[in-house]
Amino acid sequence: MSTDDQVVVTERKNVLSVQSLKKRIGKRWIVKDVSFDVKEGEVFGFLGPNGAGKTTTIRMLVDLITPTEGRVTICGYEVHKEPERALAYVGSIVENPEVYSYLTGWENLEQFARMMPNVDESRISEVTKLVDLDGRIHDKVKTYSLGMRQRLGIALALLGRPKLLILDEPTNGLDPKGIHELRGFIRKLADEGMAVFVSSHLLSEIQLLCDRVAIISHGKVLAVGTVEELIEGSSSYVIWELEPRSEGEKLLRQAGASIVENAERVLDHATIAAISGNAVVTQMSPDDVTDIVPQLVGRNISVKAIQKISPTLEQLFLEMTDGESIE
Amino acid sequence: MLLLIKNETIKMIRKKRFYVVLLVLLVLVPLFAYAQLRESESKREKFGTDWRREVQQAITDNQNSLGSDRVPEEWKKYRKIYIQQLKYYLEHDVNPAQPGGVSFTREFLNNAASLFIPLLIMGIGSDIVSSERTMGTVKMLLTRPIRRWKVLLSKLITLLMFVSLTVVCTVIICYLISGLFFGYGGFNMPVFTGFQLNGSEVDMSTVHGVPQWKYLLMQTGLIWFVGIVVAILAFMVSVLVRSTAASIVIMMAALIAGSILSNMASAWTSAKYLFMVNLGLTNYLAGTPAPIEGMTLGFSLAVLSIWGACSLVVSFLVFTKQDILN
Amino acid sequence: MNTTSRIWRITGLLSAVSTVILVLGFLYAVKDIVQPAQGEEQAHLSQEFTSNYPPQGNNYDVAAIGDSLAKGTGDDTGAGFAKRTVELINNNSNESKLINNLGINGLTTAKLIPLLDEEGVQYSLRQAGIIILSIGGNDLFDGNSVVNGGDLPTELDLEAAVKKAGENLSKVVEKLHQINPHARLVYVSLYNPFTEIEGMRDIGNKAVSSWNLIAMEVMDLYEGSLIVPTYDLYMNNSARYLSSDHFHPNGDSYQLIADRIIQGLAIPHK
Repeated sequence: MSTDDQVVVTERKNVLSVQSLKKRIGKRWIVKDVSFDVKEGEVFGFLGPNGAGKTTTIRMLVDLITPTEGRVTICGYEVHKEPERALAYVGSIVENPEVYSYLTGWENLEQFARMMPNVDESRISEVTKLVDLDGRIHDKVKTYSLGMRQRLGIALALLGRPKLLILDEPTNGLDPKGIHELRGFIRKLADEGMAVFVSSHLLSEIQLLCDRVAIISHGKVLAVGTVEELIEGSSSYVIWELEPRSEGEKLLRQAGASIVENAERVLDHATIAAISGNAVVTQMSPDDVTDIVPQLVGRNISVKAIQKISPTLEQLFLEMTDGESIE
Repeated sequence: MLLLIKNETIKMIRKKRFYVVLLVLLVLVPLFAYAQLRESESKREKFGTDWRREVQQAITDNQNSLGSDRVPEEWKKYRKIYIQQLKYYLEHDVNPAQPGGVSFTREFLNNAASLFIPLLIMGIGSDIVSSERTMGTVKMLLTRPIRRWKVLLSKLITLLMFVSLTVVCTVIICYLISGLFFGYGGFNMPVFTGFQLNGSEVDMSTVHGVPQWKYLLMQTGLIWFVGIVVAILAFMVSVLVRSTAASIVIMMAALIAGSILSNMASAWTSAKYLFMVNLGLTNYLAGTPAPIEGMTLGFSLAVLSIWGACSLVVSFLVFTKQDILN
Repeated sequence: MNTTSRIWRITGLLSAVSTVILVLGFLYAVKDIVQPAQGEEQAHLSQEFTSNYPPQGNNYDVAAIGDSLAKGTGDDTGAGFAKRTVELINNNSNESKLINNLGINGLTTAKLIPLLDEEGVQYSLRQAGIIILSIGGNDLFDGNSVVNGGDLPTELDLEAAVKKAGENLSKVVEKLHQINPHARLVYVSLYNPFTEIEGMRDIGNKAVSSWNLIAMEVMDLYEGSLIVPTYDLYMNNSARYLSSDHFHPNGDSYQLIADRIIQGLAIPHK
């Protein structure tokens, strides 16, 4: 994060590259096929419901679990062949930031500093200031609040000046203010050139935070791309309120719009609640609406309302995972 | 590597596990010393300061039990050997139970060698890996740019350092506390060693006296070896078992099973290949018969070494290959 | 620097030193056990040990040696006549203590002789002003066998046993006198415990009286020695004075024997 790295990057380099990663535990394939790249300076979201294989994947990234097949490369070093080189570029918090509660924050940082090259005392004070823990750093960790532990965890992850920061569900247990601060902090790190990998099962969080997203479900990556790309690629929904309904529905079908039978599976709760029970939900390109309306009017079907739903990541997710439960 | 060992040492000290061990010693040793004091006081009432009569009475009492049909043959063998040793002491005009801090320490170590000290060491060793698992810090530890075997080796070396410290501290605490009761002398008192046992006969040709301080040194050396092996075994259990409580229970069960087996396994001779019955190395020094026929110092050292080596191999293989799932 | 570094430096140093010492101790112990140094005969017995006699005069300290009777087998209190004698002397306001009770169950005259060569035994006997000896019973009868219906000895067997044991007894007494010429030697003579058993009453009585005669002859050689008769106690009273094993005395009769010892010793009242 030294400011020298921070020249305007024209061609962003891959910091993390994951190629067809697979993991079998017992007879079950926990991770079936995961591939993606993370580039420097970006915040990469790893989105999936609980049990989709997120944590297992993350553990394979940092050599806690050996993959059954596939490769993880960090800054050109394969993690499972040369962990002592590859992991030097990584700072990570896997699940909760667990530290030695019988040591002080400072002693914890010292512990891990001794396990990394080129980390001296001044670097320890630097990260302490960075996460705003300097006031309590010489207290025992068992006296810390959850938020302070979280910050200590981040300080530990940043200690070795990593090129890649891996955060597993970083907002767990934080209050809204804490989440907001964290978001700003992550953005700042990315702007300084660091690659940040964030896993979450919270759509809103990913959408607000990430430049690019991989969506994982049942051990497979379903899509990778920027949030905009993914949303554009998916079709949007139009909600019609027509009178008489059945006539209208028939006509819509003829016009080539596909009717969504159980709207609650693809639309979020807020939208569902707002529309009347009589409405017809179609999946179609918004451009076709202008063609269909005259046809409806021509058949004496009164159009009471037309509502275009701009797709959100959540809808995209619901669509891709076929309505898997998600918050 | 040195830095890793430093890390582990600091954790060990800060976890206060070692202080607990010291505390246990500080509480228990005065109890033992007091009990011993009371015993020697009650003997003094009978025999005054004349230890020779006391020893002679012990010889006669043991001779009496030899004639009794109710005493198991196994015990008779022990007593015959004991009688011969007592006679040897008497013939050489050396008090085998000269009260004093050094003698108490020697006696205490003799009794503590196969159960008490291993238990203390187990208390330190059992959680050295499993506590990292229980607390979840293993994730932080293993995501550092360091090979896993180095992490494990640093833990092992630290553990062995603390084994040495535990043994030495036991001796020192024992000496200092018992000195309060019995006085601090007795370093140069001769102790006889070299009793060679052939069945229930004792070969006296190699018996020789060593000053007590030297005897103490030999004793602690043997206990240290036992401690190292117990530590390595506890270490393996700690790697294999995720919870600290479970790993303590497993080691404790093994050790206590050992002390029970030693008392009754003389008929089941294959039990001598178990590590737990081979922990009483100091017996070879004192000339106490081994619990099972055919056990010698060399045999016990070999059994313990093999167990230790195997546990090391298992520990390192498992730890370096293992997936950290929780 | 800071505390953690101090912890490390101290612990590291101490453990290194400890390890070195312990490794040395270990190697030394292994060497010493595997190749023990030949026993150098260094121990010289102290003067105090080999020939220390307490001041004689009024030494009433008691040592008992011999068989189960000396030990006190059958006495539920475990005291035996040795301890009871000590108590009686003390009751007469003289000072006495039990030096050692060296009685061993089943001891015969033959086994007693080598016992008297042991340094520890000699040491104890030298401390005593009164030595109580009980021996011979096991040479004559195998009490367990007789009581439990085993083969009874014949008259001839007994005669041979008496003769052989008698020779041993004279050696025993001579040795005792050598060991401690100053002590008063008390011999507790034999009784026939089998007066109730048909076939043992008569030959037993005969053997016991010839034995007691031999004992008296042996003891008469030494001045100040004393024979305590017990023969009469069990003649008609065996049910009352024998313990539950039917051949050892019980507590009451041990007390009677102790009374007789006191009477025989004629210790002055203070």
